[in-house]
Amino acid sequence: MDIGFSVEETRFREECRDWLHANVPAEKRPLDAADAIGFDKAWQRRLFDAGWAGINWPADYGGRGLSIVQQVIWLEEYAKAHAPWIGANFVGINHGGPTLILNASEEQKAYHLPRILKGEAIWCQGFSEPGAGSDLAGIKTRGRIEGDELVVNGSKIWTSFAHVADWQELVLRTEEGSQRHAGLSWAICDMHAPGITVRPIKKMSGQTEFAEVFYDDVRIPLSNVVGGLGNGWKVAMSTLSFERGTGFIAEQVKAGQEIAELVTTARANGMIKDDRIADQLSQMRAEVAALRAMTYRNISEVVRTGQPGPEASVIRLFTSELGQRLERMAVLLMGEDMIDFAYGDDNAVQDYLRGFAATIAGGTAQIQRDIIGERLLGLPKSR
Amino acid sequence: MDLTLDDEQEALRTATADWCRAHMPLEEARSRPTGLWGDLEAMGWTGMTAPGMDLDHATEAVVFSELGRVLAPIGLISTTVARRWFADGFDGKVALALPAEEPSDMRVLDPDGSHAALIWTASGLRLFDMPNDRTHAPTIDLSTDQSRQQWTTSVSTEDAAAPLHLQLLAAAYAVGCADAARDMAADYARLRQQFERPIGWFQALKHICSDMAVRAAVARSQLYYAACSLDARDTDAAFHIAAAKRLGDQAALDNGRANIQVHGGIGMTDEASPHLCLKRAHLLQFIAPADAALLLEGAA
Repeated sequence: MDIGFSVEETRFREECRDWLHANVPAEKRPLDAADAIGFDKAWQRRLFDAGWAGINWPADYGGRGLSIVQQVIWLEEYAKAHAPWIGANFVGINHGGPTLILNASEEQKAYHLPRILKGEAIWCQGFSEPGAGSDLAGIKTRGRIEGDELVVNGSKIWTSFAHVADWQELVLRTEEGSQRHAGLSWAICDMHAPGITVRPIKKMSGQTEFAEVFYDDVRIPLSNVVGGLGNGWKVAMSTLSFERGTGFIAEQVKAGQEIAELVTTARANGMIKDDRIADQLSQMRAEVAALRAMTYRNISEVVRTGQPGPEASVIRLFTSELGQRLERMAVLLMGEDMIDFAYGDDNAVQDYLRGFAATIAGGTAQIQRDIIGERLLGLPKSR
Repeated sequence: MDLTLDDEQEALRTATADWCRAHMPLEEARSRPTGLWGDLEAMGWTGMTAPGMDLDHATEAVVFSELGRVLAPIGLISTTVARRWFADGFDGKVALALPAEEPSDMRVLDPDGSHAALIWTASGLRLFDMPNDRTHAPTIDLSTDQSRQQWTTSVSTEDAAAPLHLQLLAAAYAVGCADAARDMAADYARLRQQFERPIGWFQALKHICSDMAVRAAVARSQLYYAACSLDARDTDAAFHIAAAKRLGDQAALDNGRANIQVHGGIGMTDEASPHLCLKRAHLLQFIAPADAALLLEGAA
């Protein structure tokens, strides 16, 4: 065991730091997705042009083909430099792209991956439905095969960035009468296709970032199916395990800065004299350190064996709940000024209200606990 | 950067676990056989980082968390640390004194068969001769006795790494203790049937167990990082080891309590093992405790 970095890795870190120092935009990213889309695309393009997009993506598709350790170094420096959230590019970079890398045909990869990296194509996710949330296998949106096309009818919900997206990773039922995990397919859906209606949904934090999507005889070429017809569940799960492994490094690094800022704030406003606050802050400081240690441990497991260890699901749950505790503390330290919050304010209250998503989106904390209990501890499946 | 076990560490971990299962199981923690200490010495654990063997603290932390899992004697920690930092004169078992202010009496843990006691302060370690005419009293941890003694002449080390070493090993014990409670609870939740199914089927019980797994994984990760920071003589080693101790203690206590709840009625008894983990966790809180002010400062 060893927590040091090689000479090459240290040099890489310096390169990251230098570039970020000179290039991180001074202006803040707009809050609302529709306003932010231009900002997000321009920033992603700048990252790509300078060689910082897709650091561990294959070089054949516009990535750098570097190691996962270098990817971690980049994300650490990225957060330290207060570089903006990748926003609308989130799904393509962290979810759609990795799924394509793992499962797509050469043709699909060659077309989509470079566009994602350049910020030219915005992706959204079509997994959840009004009747299929935690019980994702209850998906009802169906795709009837007609010639070389799927004809899609149904609806999806909680689709982040749907109203600004060009493509969607759509999981739908392509085998009539199929049940549960069988008969599902993972398809690339053109969000500009006729028959798609997007109804944006406003969040309790004020901004409009996700939406409901309706499909009325939407036609998708069969060649857009990824991983083969009927394999949708397997394809979708391949990315969920990616998410549980390394998809949350940016949040983990950010937590380290947040706790340092909270301690500074609590000292400045005197609230640190409250023993309970001091105790919570020192506890979270230890936890933030442990989160980094756990991430490093998981990354080294990936380097050693090629996949995340069984404890990767723990990281996901711990990250989301620690993040929420940090956000709650930030609001507490604001004192009564927190009641001044109004939609559009970009402050700790905004982060706190948005942060509720962390234990709901992409598998609730309760589903995560089921997974940990069943896969890590071998307890019987409840579902 | 690598926080996984290498082949040698994995082999040592497995060998330690196997030996403990056969010769020092958790269930017998309250009545260890006489002569056990000689066997422990023969296994070489007390000399892992001492001159001659010179293994690293990362390997030592892996092994000591296995020892902690079966609630191994507290004296193993103090003896190991004494052997690393005090050159001569203390060949046998060394007991562990809890932090105290002179001149009030020291509480000495695991005094049986010890001729010396090690006392921890954040700034250094001191080693005392122990009187022969002492009386032993029990502690809440049924596997650990205590005695009282006055401050006698001592030798000391001011090396900043010495107290960190003891805190690291205490953290490793706590991580092992948290693991033991987690595994005991999960085993029981798989076996115990109510409403015609294993109780682990119910989310109310399953999620208690999952939270135990989270606490243990978090504490273990920080333990490994902390051990590496001591090996590297990192400037942040004191912070990382304090964080490991705090998270380890908390995981041991919280898992200790949760384990009793998962066991229900039998969990409250003297006969069953869950209380042994909880009581060990309470004792560990007082061994080289983490400094909250240091944690608040954070790493550089």
